[in-house]
Amino acid sequence: MLELKHINKYYNPGTVNEMCLFQDFNLSIEKNEFVSVVGSNGSGKTSMLNLICGSIDTDGGTILIDGKDISKEKEYQRARYMGRVYQNPAMGTCPSMTIKENMSLADNKGKMFGLKAGTNKKRVDFYRESLRQLGLGLEDKMDVKVGSLSGGQRQAMALVMSTLTPIDFLILDEHTAALDPKTAELIMELTDKVVKEKKLTTIMVTHNLRYAVEYGSRLIMMHQGEIVMDYKGKEKDKIDTDDILRKFNEISIECGN
Amino acid sequence: MDLLFTILEQGLIYGLLALGIYITYKILDFPDLTVDGSFPLGAAVTAILIKNGMNPYLTLPISFLAGGVAGICTGLIHVKFKVRDLLSGVIVMTGLYTINMLVAGTNNLPIFSCENIFKNKWLEKLFGGEIPSYSKLLIIFIIVLIAKLLLDFFLNTQSGYLLRAVGDNDLLVTSLAKDKGNVKIIGLAIANGLVSLSGCVFCQEQKVFEISSGTGALVLGLASVIIGISLLKGVPFIKATTAVLIGSILYKACVAIAIRNFEPVFMKLITAVLFLIILIISMDRKKKVKNNA
Amino acid sequence: MRKRVLAGILSLAMMVSLAGCGGTESKEASSTDAAAEKSYTIGISQFAEHGSLDNCREGFLEGLKEAGIEKGKNLTVEVKNADADMGTASQIAQNFVSDEEVDLICAIATPSAQSAYSAAEETKIPVVYTAVTNPIAAELATDDKKPVGNVTGTSDVLPVEAQLKMIREILPDAKTIGILYTTSEANSVYTIEEYEKLAGDYGFTIEKKGINTTADISIATEDLLGKVDCMTNLTDNTVVSSLPTILDMANEKKIPVFGSEIEQVKIGCLAAEGIDYINLGKQTGQMAAKILKGEANAADMEFEAIEENSLYVNEKVAENLGITVPDTMKDRAVESFTEISESE
Repeated sequence: MLELKHINKYYNPGTVNEMCLFQDFNLSIEKNEFVSVVGSNGSGKTSMLNLICGSIDTDGGTILIDGKDISKEKEYQRARYMGRVYQNPAMGTCPSMTIKENMSLADNKGKMFGLKAGTNKKRVDFYRESLRQLGLGLEDKMDVKVGSLSGGQRQAMALVMSTLTPIDFLILDEHTAALDPKTAELIMELTDKVVKEKKLTTIMVTHNLRYAVEYGSRLIMMHQGEIVMDYKGKEKDKIDTDDILRKFNEISIECGN
Repeated sequence: MDLLFTILEQGLIYGLLALGIYITYKILDFPDLTVDGSFPLGAAVTAILIKNGMNPYLTLPISFLAGGVAGICTGLIHVKFKVRDLLSGVIVMTGLYTINMLVAGTNNLPIFSCENIFKNKWLEKLFGGEIPSYSKLLIIFIIVLIAKLLLDFFLNTQSGYLLRAVGDNDLLVTSLAKDKGNVKIIGLAIANGLVSLSGCVFCQEQKVFEISSGTGALVLGLASVIIGISLLKGVPFIKATTAVLIGSILYKACVAIAIRNFEPVFMKLITAVLFLIILIISMDRKKKVKNNA
Repeated sequence: MRKRVLAGILSLAMMVSLAGCGGTESKEASSTDAAAEKSYTIGISQFAEHGSLDNCREGFLEGLKEAGIEKGKNLTVEVKNADADMGTASQIAQNFVSDEEVDLICAIATPSAQSAYSAAEETKIPVVYTAVTNPIAAELATDDKKPVGNVTGTSDVLPVEAQLKMIREILPDAKTIGILYTTSEANSVYTIEEYEKLAGDYGFTIEKKGINTTADISIATEDLLGKVDCMTNLTDNTVVSSLPTILDMANEKKIPVFGSEIEQVKIGCLAAEGIDYINLGKQTGQMAAKILKGEANAADMEFEAIEENSLYVNEKVAENLGITVPDTMKDRAVESFTEISESE
């Protein structure tokens, strides 16, 4: 279980541009929940992910995983139990290394990086098998540099790589936003498959309302650093994109635009 | 023929320096100015140890370690104190000037009268009296070959993968639950170790330590790396490390041509023109790769 | 791919054509009419472009000429300048040894001498050096002045004792002498040791200040001027090239600055007991001639220092500072200047 308790976060503290993003922000996510997060730009979705992953520090409050405080852990330490896929496909892979090398790196996550051969030859078949499930033909390009793959192929690899080793949380940061609709669809289906197979607790930030409705077991809408809508279970099954759009408009009117 | 020998000797000695710079510049993407100080550091350590009667072959690993420490300093300044990469190198390089002076005890320490890796009792015994003139090139070649093979080996280990990843996409290293800072520090240590090793061999070949011998080491090494990688990229069966060594030899060949025919004042201009031509070639090729993608 | 090949060919062609056009320029060909006479090829490796070093080179050629070995007649000279870079110095030396087949290498200044000896050690080519302040410390000679190999030459050690004596004569009350030097210049470090050894005999203490680059000059000078009664210069390359700055600051405080060679007195140092680099070069040239003619073997020749030193005085500077130079000194001076010339 992931809990965010009384989180405060300010940007540019001590300057005229000081801006309070989160004030006493609270959220808890149950094991095996698949949470979709929607909200307008600047509502704090990505900042929330950054706080959870440790890319930015909190100015107050605690982050707990199964009751253990992780707020003092560095980003790379938290990465032991988290996998993250970014919006930019380039961020989840190493362009100048081959597919095989990238897979080997991912496979070694959480273990010692010592002086053993970088690629364990016995594992190559397993990598090939993992890639075959994507249906993109990557399994036949093991010695091709990742930099020469398309954005969709790289994002698919990033997804496979971040879930290759056992993790507790999968963090998806608008991971379909930079892809064309067809590829986005494919990546989304893959995501769902992986999440179900590996029973991952997932937080997905997205601008695609249809994905938010279709996938996942819980839906959160954020606005100006607050959760303004939170549906789970049966409640969530009932809502559709129109409901969300309506809520969006309400908020906008409240704000006067 | 003699000239060819000289070019190969010098090219390979500076090839070690180029291998170090290949790690920082190409793999880590870190403009590391430390090398201007770690090159003479290797020379200083070597000269003083040899002067005090140490076995010259032992100076090779010791200089490597000394350079490694210098690299770790740059890394720590950059990673722990968040000083910009270029500045961290400048700071350590500046400090090393004094350190080198203190290590050698003077700014110019000749070791003409001492044994060195090219001339010693052991070699005399091995060759039965007279040490043949080709042995120098042979010894340099063996040292460089060992360094290159070890580096190739390292780059293909798990740690080596991590090192390559950190320059490519440090975010990925973080997501692999590894501290990217530590990886950078290790890379800088190995790079400066190689540079210092280069200074060690250079010092024994010159039989003198000169405080100014590191001036321009970075530029020289960069030129070798860029020449080698740009000209030999895509050539089958040529690894980047091999390309870098070839680049270093080509660079020294150009310098030899320049020295034979020009006042050294012109050398920098010739180097600049050469540099430009090679950059244009490599840019042209990069564009093509993009178009194909 | 084709473009790459083209560019490769172009760059190669450029190098070759550059090589071609430069080839004849720097070589000064020997004449052919001296067929009966033996002709020689000499490689000169000069460490940096510098007044005194240039004088050394000129003197060297003059010395050879006096001995009947003349450029253009029976001598081919190849002059290379390392631009104060150790790596280039070593390549120049190796080039002389491996490719040019010179009969003798003349190396000017310590780093060039070391790299020339290092390159020529395994060959039969003799090395003759000049402007090496301390050949013993440079390991070019053993403690008893004997060469370590096929290498000999002349030392430009400054007449430190004569200089101290001269300063005492002009400034009877002075106590402290300040010296600026560059930490990376071996010659300076050695000469300062000499000064410190001898200063006490003449009732002086030495206040030294090391700098690393030209950029440090102003601050170091300011600091030094506050502590000393007068300053004296070495032949330190970095300091000498910034001499006008130093003189400016010293004049403001009315602190006399002594020089170490004629050029420094010309541009505003009060006086100098210096050595004449042309003469030093000549002496070196004569040594080289003996070696070339087979009259002597470099490996058996002790290195030499210039025997006499010359006093230079600038009376205009003395006047400005309100100092009277004893008449005996004026008489002894090889050259007296009555004006301060702009430095070049």
